[in-house]
Amino acid sequence: MPYLFIFPNMLIFGLFTIYPAINGFNLSLYSSKNGRAFQWVGFRNFERIVTDNEFWQALGNTLIFVVGFVALSTVFSIIVAVLLESQRRGRSFFRAVFFVPVLLSPVVVGLLWHWMLQRQGGLLNEAIGTVGMSPVPWLAESGLAMVCVVAVGIWTHFGFYTMIVLAGLQSIDGNLYQAADLDGAGGWQKFYLVTLPLLTPTSLVVLILSTISGFQAFDFIYNFTGGGPVGGTTLMVQYIYEKAFGASPHYGLAAAGSVILFVIVLALTLVNWLIGRKNEMD
Amino acid sequence: MRVRRTFSLGGFAAATALALSGCAPGTTTSGTTSVAVPSIDPASLAGQTLDYMYFTDGPDLQATKAIIADFEKKYSVKVNIEVVPYADHVTTLQTRIAGNNPPDVARVTALSPFDGELLDLAPYLGSGFADEFIKEARPGFVGANGEIFGVPSDLTMNGIFVNTDLFAKAGVTVPTADKPWTWDHMVKAAKEVQAKTGTQYAFAIDKSGHRLSTILAQNDTFMIQGDKVTLDVTAATAALQPFIDMTSVNISPKDLWLESGSRYAGANAVFLAQQTPVYMSGNWQVAQFTKNATFGWAAAPNPCLKTCGGFPGGKFMTAFAGSKVKPLAAIFIQFVNNAKNQEAFLAATNFLPTRKDLAKNGVNYPLRQADMDVFLAEVGRTNEGAYAGAYSPLFDASSQAFVKQIAQVISGNKQLSTAIQDLLTDLKGIAARG
Amino acid sequence: MTATQPISPRRTWSSISGKRVNVGALSRVVILIGLSLAVLTPLLWMILGAFKTQEELAQTPPTLLPRSWELGNFAEAFSSFDFPRALFNSVFVVIFATVLTLIVNSMAAYALAKYNFRGKNFLFIVTLATIMIPLQVILIPAYQVTAQLGLTNSLWGMIIPAAATPTGVFLLRQYMLTIPDELIEAARVDGAREFKIFLRIVLPLCKPALAVLAIFSVLWRWNDFLWPLVVSNRDTRTLPVALRQFASQEVVPFNLVLAISVFSIIPVIVCFLLFQRQIVIGVAATGIK
Repeated sequence: MPYLFIFPNMLIFGLFTIYPAINGFNLSLYSSKNGRAFQWVGFRNFERIVTDNEFWQALGNTLIFVVGFVALSTVFSIIVAVLLESQRRGRSFFRAVFFVPVLLSPVVVGLLWHWMLQRQGGLLNEAIGTVGMSPVPWLAESGLAMVCVVAVGIWTHFGFYTMIVLAGLQSIDGNLYQAADLDGAGGWQKFYLVTLPLLTPTSLVVLILSTISGFQAFDFIYNFTGGGPVGGTTLMVQYIYEKAFGASPHYGLAAAGSVILFVIVLALTLVNWLIGRKNEMD
Repeated sequence: MRVRRTFSLGGFAAATALALSGCAPGTTTSGTTSVAVPSIDPASLAGQTLDYMYFTDGPDLQATKAIIADFEKKYSVKVNIEVVPYADHVTTLQTRIAGNNPPDVARVTALSPFDGELLDLAPYLGSGFADEFIKEARPGFVGANGEIFGVPSDLTMNGIFVNTDLFAKAGVTVPTADKPWTWDHMVKAAKEVQAKTGTQYAFAIDKSGHRLSTILAQNDTFMIQGDKVTLDVTAATAALQPFIDMTSVNISPKDLWLESGSRYAGANAVFLAQQTPVYMSGNWQVAQFTKNATFGWAAAPNPCLKTCGGFPGGKFMTAFAGSKVKPLAAIFIQFVNNAKNQEAFLAATNFLPTRKDLAKNGVNYPLRQADMDVFLAEVGRTNEGAYAGAYSPLFDASSQAFVKQIAQVISGNKQLSTAIQDLLTDLKGIAARG
Repeated sequence: MTATQPISPRRTWSSISGKRVNVGALSRVVILIGLSLAVLTPLLWMILGAFKTQEELAQTPPTLLPRSWELGNFAEAFSSFDFPRALFNSVFVVIFATVLTLIVNSMAAYALAKYNFRGKNFLFIVTLATIMIPLQVILIPAYQVTAQLGLTNSLWGMIIPAAATPTGVFLLRQYMLTIPDELIEAARVDGAREFKIFLRIVLPLCKPALAVLAIFSVLWRWNDFLWPLVVSNRDTRTLPVALRQFASQEVVPFNLVLAISVFSIIPVIVCFLLFQRQIVIGVAATGIK
């Protein structure tokens, strides 16, 4: 019976995602310039890709971005949710406003923030210029650009994560806080000893969802920084995409990059899942 | 009625031996197609449908649709035009080809990405058909054995725009088309206008390997010629130094090279906002400046180093071997690119001719004829090797490497000379992989 | 909203209503308002920009309000293609893809949440890991499959391949874990058939989570670009594909880009405001376990 339930989904998923992915991975052992004619090269694509500086840069950027985005998204959404939870007046207004960026297409988000953060003529620099500060090279300096990419990623998603955490907060039994009061716990202690532990399952959901968004991030970054300056915010997906469809297409290399990305993601998913299962057992 | 202006391609009529080696066609019937043309009976085409994948630069779309309407009427056929965004046209075509579902005809910027999938038009239109187009463009569309894999449907030429209001205000004169300025002269004039009028920048250039190649060509060096690396590191470094000097003090927009990563970024907005008196781009900007600029502007000659002139580009029309209506596709390409239709297309878009007859007799542009004449003069002055560079199958990859290296210099990570040396290494890698 | 007043040295002061307000409450409101501004300012700026001319947009310092409200940007953006057709295609794809997504994802999630069977963990992990393979990576092989099945050039080519979203399966599974097994067991004892239990008991209980998935599916399909671009033809192109044709090689008119962006977000914001309550409840539900 369960197989019947899962069948339609797995059929579509298998046909249009898994089979093409396997097919794509198979290409990593071939050399092809156009995706049509192939030549068997064994592991040469992998040898080539690990000697490519841009690959290591993209891999490093991806890890920095995903760790930064996931950690900060989780922490930030917990903070905002705690604030919202204790804010009675206008709560639904704030909640609605925070959700609006979730609705935007990633392309629009990228274009919009690129325009906002240009050193010359960007709204943010114009604003800080009025208080006498000199323009900041938000997108023209590698480290700063990465910070902006993480920040805009959070800007886009925090409304959604906050709502999830908020619901988690609201489901915590009020008696626990009263008990803590009786024990003489202060506000910070209550947060640390009651709220946080009980929020763990909720945080885990946010953690998984943000990890997914983090690894998938492409459209918004491509339209935002274009992966620049000088490759400083180029993530693996863009690296792979440009290898496959860029000025000098090489499908085999793109496929090799995909395999490496997939292995990393699979490992992380397994870890995530094991933690989740341990949690469920507790 | 305007007087038809003419320009001469005589300056480089002596064909570039390098560019043409290896693609000499079997027959060299001059001008009109004749002898071996298998005739296609128009009646046999009636009722067929053809898919045309197109990307637009703006004003060309209406002109193209009008030409298609004429074609449909003349042959009693149907042409479905599908407009895709420029940035994704190669991806879309590659994917559709891989799925055995290509369109019949497409507008593309280069034919080389589709090697092995293109329809040879020679059997349908005769090998003499290629001779209707300027020789310099041949490396872009004629195969090693005289196959005709498409036709150049328009030519573009890189060049300079100046804000004439700002120049007049500063009391600086703009050179005329017949007396181009030197790089030193141009930089000096630009800085003077900037100083006197208080614009933010003196000189702007698009973030593009194609535009940078213009500067190299002016110092008579090229990244590649055909499939060979020909970069002269010393000449390239010397040519680019004035531009790099201007970006290092940000009187040429620096952020443009850093803030958009691997995407293309044009400096046209900077020029439109009157923030630079001098802008290096190309004739495709003429139509949009005509529409959007609220100040006086004009095309000016390219600056000279060892040589003068610009750098060519343009689009091609091509048909796919997988097409089910091959004769119709061939006839369609021929029709769209005949003298009458190409002239109508050029008039609407301010592009330059690729046909020998139009190049010889001149094109009548309803708007900005004087500026177009400047570009036409630049065509005549352009370095021969520029064509062999621009139409090389390795050009896109080289161009991308070029932009990456220059961005490294502008970001302060590298010295210009180191970057050019590294570019040479990159180019050798690109050429070795073929 | 609380009126902003100078902070008193005594850490507390009287608000207009006479109630005592502490510094914590004040800074909370300040932070929340600040965040709202961080969200709304860029959007307002974009809307204003959509009415400006290209030249005005390039100006520094920028103008706050458009010098003249250029409705022409919108007119120009829409005049160049068959707008009603593209809108119809988009709406058709969004509706059918969402319905199909809800059906197949909820069935799969039910199996993963409420049954134990061989290969369950394997399927779940494969699903999760594959979420992160971006479409760009599998574009060509995925298109080949779609073409072989004869789905290209029809709207179904945009509807079916994207329907089995792993994120949807994950969200629904998380929610279904909260449904007590006893409920299902009781129904089984009463002799209800498995599919009937799913339809009559599980699905109604999952309404909030289904609402969330519905809104996400609408968003994903409405904004989808790359896949519809390669799969559609002239007659089946959706709005985002049709709108993006302006982005030409060298000249991208930013005023038109903004007009298009503003236009494309209006329907989703209207939908969100209409269904806000359901969405809030639904999103909330995905977090509770």
